[in-house]
Amino acid sequence: MAVDESDRNYEHPLYSMPGLSVAATSVDKLLTWGATNSLWVFAMATSCCGIELMATAASRVDADRMGTIIRGTPRQCDVMVVAGTITVKMAPRVLKLWEQMPEPKWCIAMGSCAISGDFYRDIYSVIPGIDTAIPVDVYIPGCPPNPEQLMAGLIRLQEKVRAVRGGEWAPKDERPETEAMQKTAPSIPRLLSAERSPDVTLAQLLGAGNLGLGGALNRAADAPPLAAPQETSDAITTQAPTETSEGAVESPSEDEHADA
Amino acid sequence: MSASSAARPSSAAPASAARLGVDPHRDLSDYDPEADLMVLNMGPQHPSTHGVFRLKLHLDGETIVRAVPYVGYLHRGVEKLLEELTFVQATPIVDKNDYVSPMTNEQAINMAFEALLGIEVPRRARYMRTLFAEMQRIASHLLWLSTFGIDMGGALGGGTTLFMHCFREREWILDLFELVTGARFHYNTHTIGGNRHDIPAGWAKQVHTTLDLIASRIDEYLELSTTNSIFVARTRGVGILPKELALELGITGPILRASGVDHDLRRDAPFHAYDEIEVKVQTEPDGDCLSRALVRVREMKESIRLSKLLVDGIPEGPICGARPIKNPTQFKAKEGQAYVALETPRGELGTYVIGGGKNKAASPYRLKIRPPSLHALSALPYLLPGHSISDTVVILGSLDPIMGEADR
Amino acid sequence: MPTPEEFRALLEDDFGVSEWSEKQPPLIEAVDHHRLAEVLKERGYTLYVFVVASHRPGVEGAEDALTAAGYIELATGLRSPTENSQLAIWRVRVGLDEQLATLVDLFAGADWQEREQFDLVGVRFAGHPDPRRLMLPEDWEGHPLRRDYAINTPHPPWR
Ligand code: SF4
Repeated sequence: MAVDESDRNYEHPLYSMPGLSVAATSVDKLLTWGATNSLWVFAMATSCCGIELMATAASRVDADRMGTIIRGTPRQCDVMVVAGTITVKMAPRVLKLWEQMPEPKWCIAMGSCAISGDFYRDIYSVIPGIDTAIPVDVYIPGCPPNPEQLMAGLIRLQEKVRAVRGGEWAPKDERPETEAMQKTAPSIPRLLSAERSPDVTLAQLLGAGNLGLGGALNRAADAPPLAAPQETSDAITTQAPTETSEGAVESPSEDEHADA
Repeated sequence: MSASSAARPSSAAPASAARLGVDPHRDLSDYDPEADLMVLNMGPQHPSTHGVFRLKLHLDGETIVRAVPYVGYLHRGVEKLLEELTFVQATPIVDKNDYVSPMTNEQAINMAFEALLGIEVPRRARYMRTLFAEMQRIASHLLWLSTFGIDMGGALGGGTTLFMHCFREREWILDLFELVTGARFHYNTHTIGGNRHDIPAGWAKQVHTTLDLIASRIDEYLELSTTNSIFVARTRGVGILPKELALELGITGPILRASGVDHDLRRDAPFHAYDEIEVKVQTEPDGDCLSRALVRVREMKESIRLSKLLVDGIPEGPICGARPIKNPTQFKAKEGQAYVALETPRGELGTYVIGGGKNKAASPYRLKIRPPSLHALSALPYLLPGHSISDTVVILGSLDPIMGEADR
Repeated sequence: MPTPEEFRALLEDDFGVSEWSEKQPPLIEAVDHHRLAEVLKERGYTLYVFVVASHRPGVEGAEDALTAAGYIELATGLRSPTENSQLAIWRVRVGLDEQLATLVDLFAGADWQEREQFDLVGVRFAGHPDPRRLMLPEDWEGHPLRRDYAINTPHPPWR
């Protein structure tokens, strides 16, 4: 049985400005702006989706720029991101941690496991979705969702926080489509995406990425370390490697096996 | 045959305690009553437990006198699920076991099925599988290094330098896999008899570019780690795992090699393309956390070398040897058992499969995955006593456990 | 350095194995389980690899008493950490309510592995120092990897 969203008391003073429920004053706006842009995340990272959650916090995607910081304790956090499978043994602990989070609090179900249990749904030890235990605000499908999708989910949650605090959160049936709801995931460029020449990327990265330790890269400046290696090994007994790697190969098997 | 007569007197624990020096089941009732022991519970949700893992520590002041690990918080019943599904359907399920190196999971289970069903893998597919496994090893060890940096510097406090840098490099490898399979991880690219996705045009050049870049960075990380006095002070001599204990516990992979045992299935029991290339096995004699770190970092360099050899050496040919898979019950094994093991970033990942299951023998009757992480975790009751509580996280991190695989 | 021939000769001479099959590891008597492990450890198989139990439900009308009542088949693997990385696997069969000698006194790693097999398949080990469940909560009923355990067994209030 899923926990209905109506269980949650949005009338509670904590969800709006205490004592200022009449109109949105500029103070309220300021506080809403602050609350929206500093969603601190409690990472309930149990399994594989947790790795993507880490990747979202890490350098390429950088969720920090949205004010989203992962904290280690539930008592400092606004959002619980449930990333991964929740088992029968783990579920009471998740509930306990959820109860330790101060109001107002939100929950994101990240990945199929947290939404419905994924293909483990029918297994004796897995609970079929975290919404059997705690109310969920945003569902992010995927196995695992890409970091982009998690970012999109966080943006959606910001939209919801803004609406709830501003008193604009309509009942479920009358909720209008907002702009953010139509947004797709933000585009985060890949290192090797087709538009970028690999040489340009390499040059950029070389300029920007070193730790500045004067490591092997800098020391070997006179012998360009990044030239394509020409060494071949005797251990490899095949020939004609370059044609293969440059992709002149037709792959008849590709389509045949893809439908398996 | 009467097995009940095989029962032996229950003297097992004291005997092994005398041999190993530490009794993991120690009863603390004889401990000095003045000491006022405290029990500290870490996990199952703790930022530095690498997943959902619980550790009960009995403390005398700051010193650990007994550590009791609890696993199973991520037990997803994979072995039961695989008995319900057919051989063909198993690959995407096992991806999720060791979610830091899915490629080797797929490889392991498909190799076991191929051994059971007697299916040959074409040479091109063998090279591609080996290449993917080596690149996955780099990605996996990078993730380990990044989280080890966090463990060292306090969870999510300081110490995020390595985290940020290593994740950047890991993303590059995931990008390369994405170009081949379309997925960042959980690739589902291996299948019975070969691979599903061929490598795209120009991919090999990108592999070379990326690996060159990563190689230069890894030198910096090695320098950063070994010349940093805090790093060395917190790892040298901490959590020493003796050789005999490591073997008895079934510990394999980098942890075993860091304890001075020169054993690597890639060289000693070669599978796929490893019999055509030479793997230089990295070992360290001391068995402490620093050795484990050094072995992993050097293994990354070795994997880069191997990947570059392999990507140049991929032969022409088909990428899948079996008939095209038309329906999921295509492969059947009425009987027989097979155990196939391979070397993953965490050690020996074995698959024991018994044929003759459901769906008219198109499913395994019983399938057991031998998880290297579970064996590594079982060393904790031996490693932790005597150390201070702040070393717990470092020792745990140096074992590189992945709970998805340990609990399955 | 241990070799497959040596292993084969050992089993044939000392443990009465006469049937060899490509597809099945050798089957020995359950009483010999501990002794074989001891001998192999002395001969260099010092790396504990795995133990796997599988449940075979009883077959009605079977001639063999064990087959009729149902049994648990255990396969154990040990490895030698030498150049050829030789693997020794053998099987034993125990009745459903019988016990098998534990290997914890030889291999510390058997501790958790045997607990796991007890937890999931329900095989009991005599002399195990810590016979608790490993994966599932302590109050769990049944052993999930037995044939008669339904995969979607409910567990209120969670599922
Ligand atoms: S949804 Fe997929 S990726 Fe996420 S935790 Fe579940 S199995 Fe892992």
